[in-house]
Amino acid sequence: MSRVRLGWWLIAIPMSLLALATIYPLLFTANVAMKTRRDYILDRFSLTDALRWENISTAWNSVGMGRYFVNSLLVVTASVLLLLLLGSMAGFALSQLRFRGSSALFLGCLAGLFIPFQVVMVPLARIMADTALIDTYPGLVLVYVAQFLPFTVFLMTSYYKGIPPEIVDAARIDGSTVYGVYRRIMLPLGTPALLSVGILNALFCWNDVLMALVMMPSAEHRTLMVGVTSLRGQYSDNIPTFASGVLIAAIPVLLVYLFLQRQIADGVAAGSTKG
Amino acid sequence: MRQRAMWSAVLVVGLALAGCGSASDSGKSTSSDGKLVVWDWKSGEPFAKSYLDKAKADFKKKHSDVEVEFVAQPFDQYYTLLGAAIQSGKGPDVMLFNGGGQIRDRVDALVPLNDYVTEDKQRLAGWEAFTKDAKIYASPVTLQGYPIYYNKAIYQKANLDPASPATTWDKFTADCTAIAKAGAKCFALGNKEGVGIQFWLSSLGSTTLTAQEYDAWITGKRDWQSPNVKRLFQLWKEAGDKKMNSDGANSTAMFNDSFALFQSGKAAHVMGLMSDVGHWQDFNEFLTPEKLGVMKAPIVTAGTTPSLPYDGGIGYAVAKWTKDPKMAADLVRSLSSADALKAFYADAGAIAADTTIDVSQAGPAVATLVSELKSGKPALHVALSSKTLDLMGRLSQQLLSGSITVDEVVKQLAASDQAG
Repeated sequence: MSRVRLGWWLIAIPMSLLALATIYPLLFTANVAMKTRRDYILDRFSLTDALRWENISTAWNSVGMGRYFVNSLLVVTASVLLLLLLGSMAGFALSQLRFRGSSALFLGCLAGLFIPFQVVMVPLARIMADTALIDTYPGLVLVYVAQFLPFTVFLMTSYYKGIPPEIVDAARIDGSTVYGVYRRIMLPLGTPALLSVGILNALFCWNDVLMALVMMPSAEHRTLMVGVTSLRGQYSDNIPTFASGVLIAAIPVLLVYLFLQRQIADGVAAGSTKG
Repeated sequence: MRQRAMWSAVLVVGLALAGCGSASDSGKSTSSDGKLVVWDWKSGEPFAKSYLDKAKADFKKKHSDVEVEFVAQPFDQYYTLLGAAIQSGKGPDVMLFNGGGQIRDRVDALVPLNDYVTEDKQRLAGWEAFTKDAKIYASPVTLQGYPIYYNKAIYQKANLDPASPATTWDKFTADCTAIAKAGAKCFALGNKEGVGIQFWLSSLGSTTLTAQEYDAWITGKRDWQSPNVKRLFQLWKEAGDKKMNSDGANSTAMFNDSFALFQSGKAAHVMGLMSDVGHWQDFNEFLTPEKLGVMKAPIVTAGTTPSLPYDGGIGYAVAKWTKDPKMAADLVRSLSSADALKAFYADAGAIAADTTIDVSQAGPAVATLVSELKSGKPALHVALSSKTLDLMGRLSQQLLSGSITVDEVVKQLAASDQAG
């Protein structure tokens, strides 16, 4: 065997194993979703003997997933649009505008990255209840924006730092206002980063359970992921139905990943290099 | 053009949210508006439908103009969600609780029900698990116990008499050796979440602690340095060391993986439940009622008498912030009414808190369980605070893996227990 061919195998085998390990949970979930409860209890690892779509329809109908799907779509869309707007504005200001305290402001934004939701959950719930925002869509959108804005600002600032400041200076000399520079120059130039950070934020918001559960306790306002978790009771043992719910909730995320994987990878690396 | 589209989208979403923001507030207390909101983790399950229908019908007789909305919350996050609701002072009017530490830790947010449930006191059992300082905070729906189930088919395969399971610990371990030779494990154990030790403690408590020690434990006077208390933890470790448990117990979830091991005939015994899952009805489905046995705990300490450990399982409570506590208490009473509980027993297989319900058709295992209720005692682990239970779960994993000693375990548990 030639050295080149051996090298190829040395890379291909571990990578294939890694890919299998990554995709196996999804295949396992899909397999379980097609089983009967009895088959699952007796041998969960065996392949299903039939495609039982009734588990999917049970999961879909039992907790009203159609409504939760719309709720998720609404909340995630609004959150992501607001995040992109605020994040890109802040990123532009912190990277391109010279003003006193900008570094401290940036560090302050970064500090938000290190505060887990569990720490602020109870006081936040109290504030939301006092302001009548609990159990409302705008309330959850605000929570998502607050939670994921530091990450968005960090990425957008890093990205905009790579744009030569001379472009801004030239536009200002030509008479453009700061808002005009942002709207006409920075927003179009930041499209790749906005797309990436938008996808990542959409995934974060879509997959969230805890924030959505605490901020939207009533049944009709639930998001899809909360709906899926409610398929499991304390000791509920209908795992095939639960697996079907997980599969339903995962499909949009998988589609996003399949079609936009390049942008997701770019988003993770945004700002890591200049130029 | 593209920018204009984006701003339009922002505007549309903003307007949509403003409209949706005023949507109905079913998560909040609304009893004065002709509606009661209930949070639980049961109402979404198909087997609870007839139970809820009966309860609603009973409540309708008393308050025909009041709507009741059940919101099934995910159990994994239930108490987190409840904590947030309690802190913000806004939440459901009525809520479901597990008996013991889970409700006792939150009584400040609940209405004492003593004056409302007087008529139900005799009919229902399991009140102690929902009582703190002589105040009742929930009406029991089910009784939850921790019997030892065994598989008679495995006993036959191991040449043991299925009609006479071991009555002493020494005989029991000898039986386990025979069972191992027959190709099965002695115990189906799942301790991934640290819950296994709780069932162990309660299942073997009455035959390891003396009657005085047992009663003192329940009343809160626990002597963690007592040799018999230490013995419970030593047995836990010994069972692991002697490979009596199913493989990988610390990485196996109790719900429902360890029960699946028992159901599929891979283990001869399981410390299971009387209600919910992991109980007689589930096991009957797989093993058949004839092959399912319920045994008394084998005697570890000479002179002890085995008794069934059980308490109130789940029960509904009334939130302090509800606008009409009497109406909410009426709903709680309907949720514990005889008809509703009968339906819950029939569909969910729960041993209901109403012990007058006829269970004669359910098979020999249920008959044994119900006959032992009279001489039963509260479970040991239910008397502990949830904080101490969490610690015990973590320590039990270390005991099984051999990274801590029994002395260190009881020392840490004593400190946690005394801290309250």
